[in-house]
Amino acid sequence: MKFSRRDLLIGTVGITAGIAFTPVPWKLLGDASIWTQNWPWIPQPSHGPVETKLSACALCVAGCGMRVRMAAGFPVGVSGVTTNPVTQGALCPLGFAAHQLNWHPARLLTVRHNGRASSWPEAQAAFAKTCAEGPVAVIDGRPGRAASATLEVFAAKHNGSYQAVSGPETNALVPYAAWSEVPVSALGYDLENARTIVSFGAPLLDGWGTPGRFTRLWSERAAGQINPQLRLIQIEPSLSHTAARAWRWVAVREGTQSALAAALARVLVEEHLVKTQGPLPDMTLEQAAVQAGIPITAIRDLAHAMVECAPTVVITSDSDPTVSALNVLLGAIGTPGGIVLKTKMNQQHGSVPAAPATVRATVIDGTVPWDLIPPTQGEVFRFAAWDGGGSNADWLLPSPGFLEELTDIPTAPTSSIETYTIATNLLAQPQETQTAAQFFSKLDGTLPDVDKSIHARCEQIFQAKLGTIYAGKPTPVAQFTSGAKLEAQLRNGSVWLGESPRHTTLRCALKTWPTAAAPAPVTDWTATWAPPVLPLLAAKLYQESTLRDAPGRSQA
Amino acid sequence: MSARYGMVIDLDRCTGCGACMIACAAENNVSPPEPRATWRTGITPMVVRALSNGKDGTDRREAFIPITCMHCEHETPCVSVCPQQAVEFDKSTGIVMQMPQRCLGCRYCMTACPYHARYFNWWDPQWPPGMEKSLNPGVSVRMRGVVEKCNLCHSRYHDALQKAAAAGKKEIDVADYVPACVEACPTGAIQFGDLADPKDPATIAAKSPDAFRLLEAIGTEPKIHYKTTQAWIRALADRQSDRPTEAPHV
Repeated sequence: MKFSRRDLLIGTVGITAGIAFTPVPWKLLGDASIWTQNWPWIPQPSHGPVETKLSACALCVAGCGMRVRMAAGFPVGVSGVTTNPVTQGALCPLGFAAHQLNWHPARLLTVRHNGRASSWPEAQAAFAKTCAEGPVAVIDGRPGRAASATLEVFAAKHNGSYQAVSGPETNALVPYAAWSEVPVSALGYDLENARTIVSFGAPLLDGWGTPGRFTRLWSERAAGQINPQLRLIQIEPSLSHTAARAWRWVAVREGTQSALAAALARVLVEEHLVKTQGPLPDMTLEQAAVQAGIPITAIRDLAHAMVECAPTVVITSDSDPTVSALNVLLGAIGTPGGIVLKTKMNQQHGSVPAAPATVRATVIDGTVPWDLIPPTQGEVFRFAAWDGGGSNADWLLPSPGFLEELTDIPTAPTSSIETYTIATNLLAQPQETQTAAQFFSKLDGTLPDVDKSIHARCEQIFQAKLGTIYAGKPTPVAQFTSGAKLEAQLRNGSVWLGESPRHTTLRCALKTWPTAAAPAPVTDWTATWAPPVLPLLAAKLYQESTLRDAPGRSQA
Repeated sequence: MSARYGMVIDLDRCTGCGACMIACAAENNVSPPEPRATWRTGITPMVVRALSNGKDGTDRREAFIPITCMHCEHETPCVSVCPQQAVEFDKSTGIVMQMPQRCLGCRYCMTACPYHARYFNWWDPQWPPGMEKSLNPGVSVRMRGVVEKCNLCHSRYHDALQKAAAAGKKEIDVADYVPACVEACPTGAIQFGDLADPKDPATIAAKSPDAFRLLEAIGTEPKIHYKTTQAWIRALADRQSDRPTEAPHV
């Protein structure tokens, strides 16, 4: 058979037309679209065994329970633990992206000395030298941990001082501690029994306290209700997220909250709205009204609203004795719905006087807020997992990041009930990092070991037979047959909840009306976030939405 | 039996914390924002916007409204315009699915969406070195040049299906399927459920007199419902998705 040019053309056209009726072109089109979406530079998620583990977030003092989804040994998702009696499944917005922090561009994995790369042996030698020359100051951001005990013992053994820095929530309780001579760590707010909460600028719905505790309470008892069970009165100059959702927002002039507190005190006492006949401020009602920019009738209304639905508690954003004095007048100290005394099981870890300016070395633990600059002429050794920039520390020492360190988490500052959680390290600690406690232990092998201290604390809880362990379902401590079993539960992400607060009347008498303080304004979560950097996904909140203002700190 | 998954968002409970936005981005492997990204060019399958009553002084009131894909039930606009069949209405769940593998990036669907709930991938997804280890293995990373949106955390639906299948069941346990934003909300403002089930708490909430839907008049039957007792929020909510703005408040 002769094969002509015509046959070739017919065959070619026929084959081409035939292919169009086969899946080949469609398969090629589909494959091409998939190939073009899988370039080598597009990251691919790790694949491996998926498991869920419980731990706690150690990035701030709240210590929220976390359910961490792990794939191929790395955390790939974080969510709250609904069985946690304190947080009830809530986390702060940043917590949901915290598992990405370990790869943040600002992660510190190299020892730095005056901006240049150095090494651990050099840092250790420099610290040992300064230790030999004079006293050492150790600054801890979260006192009460097992690691804190190590820091405290080291400072005591080396003629040094141990200082605990506290956040605005703890500072707000300082006046009551001074008046009642009870340690700050023993005080908390009994929000669950309060009917009216008067907040002087405290961001109650925006990162204050432990996430989930007040927000859940508010959403169940107040949100959207015209006559709510829980009245939230927010006093602050601008319409913040909390003010926007409050039952009543009182717009006060910037910096005049003390004047408004004085005016309210006068109305409360002079109109016999409270039983207490405490000292009165020198400022008259008229003077205070002019200063605060609020009419006298509105101040009177506010005072009546404060006592209409008792118990009432006043919360400040930071230490402000004039505002705190309102709680004394309202009788809210040591009573249900007010400021209560926790049952204290653990040893007190109070702040000691500031370190003398003559110290040779200041060691700042990784838990201390990044912007703290110690007033010292000595050499500064700063532990941190991330470099927030602008630090004047002589030594920047890389410490473990998120979920890389075994630590325990004592009661959060505002809590009325004692809690104890262990944040298990779900990731191996990088070799390049050390905690301050590990750093000290290398110099002095006799210091208390963190792991052993945690073990001792679990045993202490077991021996006391008080409180309940929450692990899915609550189990009273008294039902545990051994301390080891209790410790195992806690190390697996359970939380110990102590006994209900003691409603004892604290002696909190005021002889004179306190003088006004100028508390630092606390606007939102960015002020209470301890690490120097935010997760990169947090930019969704201020760059790709108009929900927040961009934080005023350097972002890598 | 087919389900109709949807949400009821209680605007009176929303504090505007943004936890839903972050949880959504982390769950769905959305990359950190490119420095040039804005509210419109970034990827925010769940976004919370602020509403104001427009008054001054102490009369001013504000609220927050989470906006996501509405999973329109009737004449789903994005489905009908897609030339690639990259958008599909799943009849068994009521979820409007976006398949980035099929998408050619024409953005017809973005134009058609009355809620501005779709986003175009303007940039290659990029993470700092090593951070890819923290990506969710249940969700693939999308390429530059495709449109994406909320798919009600479909990977979680698949996980629930697998769990049900392993237990020899044909239907999932509703408790096993909870989208990331619902799980993250600290005030419990977002209720999720099967709106085809009359006993589901979400269905009951959706029928409350305080419940409403955005742009209800256009008849797309969205499955994202909202709830509020405040009339001014309800009046503004219809305007919000229609008039997005870069100003802090509408």
